[in-house]
Amino acid sequence: MSAPKPPAGHFNILYFASASSHTGKDMEALPAPLPLRKLFDTLEERYQGIRETVLDHSLVTINLSYVDMPSSEDEDVVIQEGDEVAIIPPVSSG
Amino acid sequence: MQNGDTNTDQNGSGSSVPRDTSRPLTEEELDRYSRQMIVPGMGKEAQLRLLNAKVLIIGAGGLGCPAAQYIAGAGIGTIGLVDGDIVERSNLHRQVGHATSRIGQPKVLSLITHLKGLNPLPNYVAHTCHISPLNAANLIAQYDLILDCTDNPATRYLISDVCVLLEKPLVSAASVQTSGQIIVLNCPPTPQGLLEGGPYPPCYRCCFKKPPPANAQLSCGEAGILGPVVGLMGVAQAGEAIKILASGLHVPSTTPPKAPVEPTLLLYSYSLTSFLSPFTFRALKMAPRKKSCFACGEGSKGRLTLEGVKRGEPNYEFFCGLSSGPKQHVLSEEDRITPKEFVERVQQGKDGNSGKGKYVVLDTREKEHFSFGSIAGAVNVPFGKLLSKAAQIKRGGETPQVGDILPPEVKIEEGKEDVPIYVVCRRGLDSQEAVEKLKEMGLDNGGKRKIVDIAGGMKAWKEQVDPSFPYL
Repeated sequence: MSAPKPPAGHFNILYFASASSHTGKDMEALPAPLPLRKLFDTLEERYQGIRETVLDHSLVTINLSYVDMPSSEDEDVVIQEGDEVAIIPPVSSG
Repeated sequence: MQNGDTNTDQNGSGSSVPRDTSRPLTEEELDRYSRQMIVPGMGKEAQLRLLNAKVLIIGAGGLGCPAAQYIAGAGIGTIGLVDGDIVERSNLHRQVGHATSRIGQPKVLSLITHLKGLNPLPNYVAHTCHISPLNAANLIAQYDLILDCTDNPATRYLISDVCVLLEKPLVSAASVQTSGQIIVLNCPPTPQGLLEGGPYPPCYRCCFKKPPPANAQLSCGEAGILGPVVGLMGVAQAGEAIKILASGLHVPSTTPPKAPVEPTLLLYSYSLTSFLSPFTFRALKMAPRKKSCFACGEGSKGRLTLEGVKRGEPNYEFFCGLSSGPKQHVLSEEDRITPKEFVERVQQGKDGNSGKGKYVVLDTREKEHFSFGSIAGAVNVPFGKLLSKAAQIKRGGETPQVGDILPPEVKIEEGKEDVPIYVVCRRGLDSQEAVEKLKEMGLDNGGKRKIVDIAGGMKAWKEQVDPSFPYL
């Protein structure tokens, strides 16, 4: 089963493990398009402190593929309408 | 069956461990492994690779138990187990290789007892110690494939680094609360620092460059874990290990792998509130070896060596923020009260403010902990919710009111600006932060309202006030 389709002009973002406990959500739809470079700022604005406690050490996927956080504008990727972004923090316990 | 086959193992010739790939199987082996050997793609050669393989399972807990059962069942020839812990009753809901009758035994010995019952044929090697920078290389060097079934980030980075250095494939899994993840790393094993002719497979650091901050690292003891969630990940580890060994992918290679090197990170997340969760399983395509990786990237040979690891470089504890020790005491004494004092002065009224409506007890534990009991009259606002409510109010630019934070059932009469709030949590850390947060929001009305931490949390409450309190 796949996640519900995001509304027009939006992308879905999925929060796993500590990303989910920090946001209190499993997923939500955010406005698209959004440059990947701006993703963490957008989330920090919504969820104060999430950058330090979650995002800085998490990996990010777009449409089920790993993406590197762009270090400059030239490398930037743009999150498009209908994309599925996931925030995946490492889990250490067992 | 044909006896005396010549060595037709196409991948095994370069392996460091002697492989007798031509011996006939015994009657018992033929019988015991028959159902898996007839699976398409298996056959005699694959089974002999399993029988000749040496697997090290690090951690004999929630991941290690289910993984070891299938590793043993499949007939892996040598199975090493590393763990320094002993079996506790609270392990048994998920650590299915132990038993109530073996509580108090070293986990490794308890698990071997179970595994021998399942399959007496493998050679079981007990390493009843924790893995450390001092012993990691010696342990890992003796095996062909490593399963990381451990429970903390410092150990995960250590194991991955040593697997890179010794060219061992690593099947890594982790799980907490209701989610788990599993990934195969460094497979096929590739010399450290080799990038030319790639792409090559990644290591743990390629995927997770930095550990979470120490205060965000959840342990199963503190955060909880569901048995089937961690069990599924452990079983998947065994599945990946058997696949790698049966097909000879564990053998180090210097030629670029023919198969794709981007491993799949499988996430399992299991929602207790919506059973038709839309993303129970997610298979994510990871990136190959990173040029910038500390352990396996460009110039890594100058940064990470076996000798260095033994000497304490890198310092895994420091890297994972563990060396500073847990945060203890942030508030001044006047903002704190011991559980015993709370009973005497507040509940029994020596401070003259006992009785209903005269004070509020705010319990910031998770609601599951709260569901087992709390201090009489306490209201529950979990710490995370409290922080997010505070952030929301701050963003909105409103002047915070007590009612914005406390649940609606708490009625503080108009003009009662001095009704004190006592904050309690599990062990007395979150509550101190909560006190600071509430004061920062101005809910102390410029000092008219006392906001006080109940020192040591419900743990101290159990010790000082109520020994029968169900503290979890």
